[in-house]
Amino acid sequence: MSTLNYSKTRQAARWFDVRRRKAGMWAYALNRITGIGLVVYLYLHLGVLSMLIQGQSAWDAFVGLARSPFYLALDVILLAGILIHGLNGLRLAVTGFGFSAGAQKALFTILMISGGIILIAAALKIFQI
Amino acid sequence: MSANAFDQESKPTVAWLWQVVTGIGLVLLLGLHMVANHFIAKGGLRDYAAVVAYLRNPIILVLEVLFLVCVTTHALLGVRAIFLDFGLSDRVEQRLSGVLKWIGVLTIGYGLVVMWFVIR
Amino acid sequence: MLTVPVEIFRFKPGQAQRYDTFTVEIAETAHVIDVIDTVWAKHDPTLTFRRACHHSSCGSCAVRINGAEKLPCIVRLTDVWNGRNPIRIEPLRNFPVVSDLLVEVGDFFERMSAASMTITCEAEGFLPLTVDTFAVAGVLPKTVELPDNLSRFNRFEQCIECGICMSACPTMATDNKFIGPAGLAAIYQARHKTDDPTRVKHLLGLADGEHGVWRCHSAFECTEACPQAVDPASKIMALRRELALRRLRKMFGLRI
Repeated sequence: MSTLNYSKTRQAARWFDVRRRKAGMWAYALNRITGIGLVVYLYLHLGVLSMLIQGQSAWDAFVGLARSPFYLALDVILLAGILIHGLNGLRLAVTGFGFSAGAQKALFTILMISGGIILIAAALKIFQI
Repeated sequence: MSANAFDQESKPTVAWLWQVVTGIGLVLLLGLHMVANHFIAKGGLRDYAAVVAYLRNPIILVLEVLFLVCVTTHALLGVRAIFLDFGLSDRVEQRLSGVLKWIGVLTIGYGLVVMWFVIR
Repeated sequence: MLTVPVEIFRFKPGQAQRYDTFTVEIAETAHVIDVIDTVWAKHDPTLTFRRACHHSSCGSCAVRINGAEKLPCIVRLTDVWNGRNPIRIEPLRNFPVVSDLLVEVGDFFERMSAASMTITCEAEGFLPLTVDTFAVAGVLPKTVELPDNLSRFNRFEQCIECGICMSACPTMATDNKFIGPAGLAAIYQARHKTDDPTRVKHLLGLADGEHGVWRCHSAFECTEACPQAVDPASKIMALRRELALRRLRKMFGLRI
């Protein structure tokens, strides 16, 4: 029987399609986006740490650069990613073992609001430096 | 043997459980890593001398090594989960897991080398 | 009477897929299945779709209405039409499309059969006909305390095997070996209906593994979309808990 089947790539991209979907799907997509971003950051971070091998002058020059407002703004974005991924991860761990799965939407809202508050406090601290 | 392809028990997996274990570890260890290196440290980052002093504390060193292992495992398990969504064959899935394991070993090895250079 | 534009997904083997727009004259009280019926009866008899009971018991008419999985037999036209844009009707996702709105459900029923989902079910018949029964049926507000033994079967027999959860599930899109929400929910049900250790071991063995409960990405779309309040997501999570606890006990050498 000849049927209509979609390509694997198109199907694999479904996680990104949140149209007409509810909070759980948004949380899943957000978790993936931040997760991919954090993996990229992890390897960039490890790359930057190679300056520690190059010695004091290389590292201290980088430290000077990293204290510029542009880098600090990037740090706030990074922290937003960590908070979204980490707090949502806690929700996934709790609900994933069958605890309060029925409250997953409320949990998502509460954790994201908490994350927002932590982010604002941290951003204020970062730019005070 | 049943003719129903879905009535077959497949090999159990612990990937998800490890993702949760390392994830919970990360909440604690990343929290510590961020606060110690970027919020307590003067100017938001340690200069070379301060990094050396920090890592020479044996408790900190153990925690940073644990952090490196957790973050690498968690990250690569996440990458694996994304790749699995491309509907790979069992053979390709196995190969992918093998490649990611090696990337993990190399990443952790690299991190340890950096730490060794700092504390030696 | 309303004049309603409706945009329907079309596909015939050997032809390219497309959307056809029809303008349907229909009563304001109509349900979406009536719109599809009218298109077939008055506009295009080649339109292929599936339907039977017209009251959300058979699960055969499931489609996507404006992108969301629904049973068109219980969705009122006025609830999905904004009075302007065409209502878009498409086949379920994650199933091969045979023709127009008709999808191939063979693999889906294989999954349900593997999970011991029987067509004839007890339908909560063990409950005495008391006020609780009406509470369960949603006739009365759920202020009445349910008996302890009911919670684990909570509305479980209600699965009408419509495939809506399989269409809504983002994981289902990516892994054609994934047992899927309906199948895993059925495994949970079957597991709690038996005390036979061999049977329990087999059912948990089906759920454990790369294509079982661990593949779920916790998007909870199955529970959101289910028209029968089966709540497959919670059942998947409950299976995970049982599997994880069994593994933990085994690790410490305790009897499972």
